[in-house]
Amino acid sequence: MLPFGLFLLSICQWIDSTRLNVVMRQSNWAFPALDTIHTLGIVLVAGTIMLVDLRLLGLGLRSVPVAQLVGRIVPATLGGFGLMLLSGGLLFSSEAVKMYHSPAFRIKMALLALAGVNAFIFHRTIYRDVANWDHGSAAPVGARVAGLLSLIFWIAIIAAGRAIAYAPGYDLG
Amino acid sequence: MMAAYLLPAFEWLQHTPLAQTIRHSAALIATLEIVHLIGLALLIGTILMVDLSLLGLGIGRHPASQIARELRNWTAAGLAIMLASGPLILSSEAERCYKTPAFWVKMALLALAVTFHFTIHRRVALAEPPQPHPSARLVASLSLALWIGVALAGKGIAIFQPA
Repeated sequence: MLPFGLFLLSICQWIDSTRLNVVMRQSNWAFPALDTIHTLGIVLVAGTIMLVDLRLLGLGLRSVPVAQLVGRIVPATLGGFGLMLLSGGLLFSSEAVKMYHSPAFRIKMALLALAGVNAFIFHRTIYRDVANWDHGSAAPVGARVAGLLSLIFWIAIIAAGRAIAYAPGYDLG
Repeated sequence: MMAAYLLPAFEWLQHTPLAQTIRHSAALIATLEIVHLIGLALLIGTILMVDLSLLGLGIGRHPASQIARELRNWTAAGLAIMLASGPLILSSEAERCYKTPAFWVKMALLALAVTFHFTIHRRVALAEPPQPHPSARLVASLSLALWIGVALAGKGIAIFQPA
């Protein structure tokens, strides 16, 4: 195993040995309650991001300037993301080593990173001069590509998240 | 619990070849759940945008009616995706759903939410000129509460197994 893999595994083993892990496992309601919050969080994140993506692709809200839409919707997206991160972290703490070995979990983390990089590049490049293309119903090609990639990544994140429950990958330990 | 006369229908549904195929394929069930969730995200995202506008938290000077008009097809698409995938998921475990109160709560809330959406909510959201704030806010709050209730009850079906 690569040294970095061993490093991550030892962190996961440590998390599984904490008091938090014990509390999560012993509680009957913690996992389902956090799972519910996590699902609502992802629905909020994906639902609001889809609105921006559809606008960038020229498929919806064409009369609304992009910057105004982003300004209004991103707080809701970030709120949903905060819920996702907090509940996801706690869910993870209840079975960290199992998640380390789960291919679906690894794919989900990689997709989250890709979605983040895509959003970062979009904001640092094309979005900087949004004032120049804000009002047109058709966004520049770069913005449309970013919108399409975002749509694909978030749908894939939902898919990978659901797959974690179905393909835990016990056998890879 | 629901009237016993519905039980045979649920038993029949679960024993159809399609339901049996889905029931015995984890990949199919997972795929249907993923599609169902994507439909939910589309539905909740678009309805949230319209309801925020009705609550006075919309986008700049764009009236709720304009947002609602531009998003109605996407809301309908989200609902259609959910109504296509939902019954297929249901069919694979119809007998368990029949015995799970959360399922019946979800169906009741769904009936309320859909009826409300296509009657009062639609009229208020598309109203020109926009409705005065107090009633529009009440309609938007009810709409959000109903749809979030549907989503929570849906999650409840998986969490609360029948006794």
